[in-house]
Amino acid sequence: MKILILNGNPHGDTGSIDPYVDHLVEKIKSAGHDVTIITLRDHKISPCIGCFHCWIKTPGICSINDDARDITRQFIAADHVILASPLMMGFPSHLLKNAMDRNICIVHPHLEEVDGEVHHKKRYDRYPVISLLLEKEADTDEEDIDILKDIFRRQAVNMWSSVGFVHFTESPFEEIIHAITVH
Amino acid sequence: MRLLFINASPRGKKSNTGILMQHFIRGFLETPDNTCEVEYLVKYKNNLNALTEKFSAWDNVIIGFPLYVDAMPGSVKAFMEALAPLKGRKDLPALGFMIQCGFPETAHLRFVAKYCEKFSRRIGCRFLGCILKGGCEGLDVQPTFLTEKYFSLFGMLGLDFGKTGKIDEDILTKLARPEHLSAENMAMVVPFINQALWDAQMEKNGVLNLSFDRPLMP
Repeated sequence: MKILILNGNPHGDTGSIDPYVDHLVEKIKSAGHDVTIITLRDHKISPCIGCFHCWIKTPGICSINDDARDITRQFIAADHVILASPLMMGFPSHLLKNAMDRNICIVHPHLEEVDGEVHHKKRYDRYPVISLLLEKEADTDEEDIDILKDIFRRQAVNMWSSVGFVHFTESPFEEIIHAITVH
Repeated sequence: MRLLFINASPRGKKSNTGILMQHFIRGFLETPDNTCEVEYLVKYKNNLNALTEKFSAWDNVIIGFPLYVDAMPGSVKAFMEALAPLKGRKDLPALGFMIQCGFPETAHLRFVAKYCEKFSRRIGCRFLGCILKGGCEGLDVQPTFLTEKYFSLFGMLGLDFGKTGKIDEDILTKLARPEHLSAENMAMVVPFINQALWDAQMEKNGVLNLSFDRPLMP
């Protein structure tokens, strides 16, 4: 399976995300999967400016030519994307959100009904499963986690994907490897 | 009353958020002695701390933004992270949000609204509420018969807020319609949006035949 890890930790030298991801990569390789890690802070990813050129001028291609274009290419080519980030004010980092915002070119502007709601049409035949690997803040509580799960479940619906797992940096690696394998 | 409105749309001045904001502010300023200042987040993208300092100097702040991938745009998240050092301070403003999306139903906005409420509590601001409105893509080209009713509701909401300091629940409920689309509505609205909003623009740009292109195909 092709696994892509987007590491949205803005600070490499602090917190538990980087060491956890490094260790996880080894475990994923040992389980026989192909894994790529992209450390977002080392790349140029401008925020989406809402120009919609990727829908109405150059369908499928973002107007901003920076590293996000290749990240989107790798995103759509993966079977499973793990979004890794510390929680910052109860939500993954802006680096990760900017990378996800730049992915709207993988869907089509047209709307259609999905389970009684309006969502965007597909552009590609298949989309990766998305999962969350998070580092908790000192005050993270159940309510925060429920809010996040709801938002990412909806992101998955809008990207023709599904949520694989939501884990934290205290989770045993085996649980993540298992979750990757069953999806 | 003093209000700082932060238009946090990545489109800056030419934004659907800005159109809704203007109607709200028009109502707010009808009360004598009310003052409102508008700041654009895009202006501060390389200097978020300057906007953070402004934030704490006001009694009331409303942050307006469009829904991006089911949540706040990444640039708005960066601003929320920049506000983190203010957490727990005693002099923080009351905080509200105005969030709009292109999807016709308000249901899409409920989840980020929960996050915004939690954000207010986490930082220690009294929460004013979230003003939510769907169907806002291309507000400048939508026909008047579609927009005039809710533009006037935004004005009423601003007027009421300017008098009471509260965001009126009854007006929010009216603005939130439709929460979901009925099957009949969906059958009518979806082809209209696809054609009038999207195909028309692709046709103008000469790329309608490339509409479903897959340039990043592995």
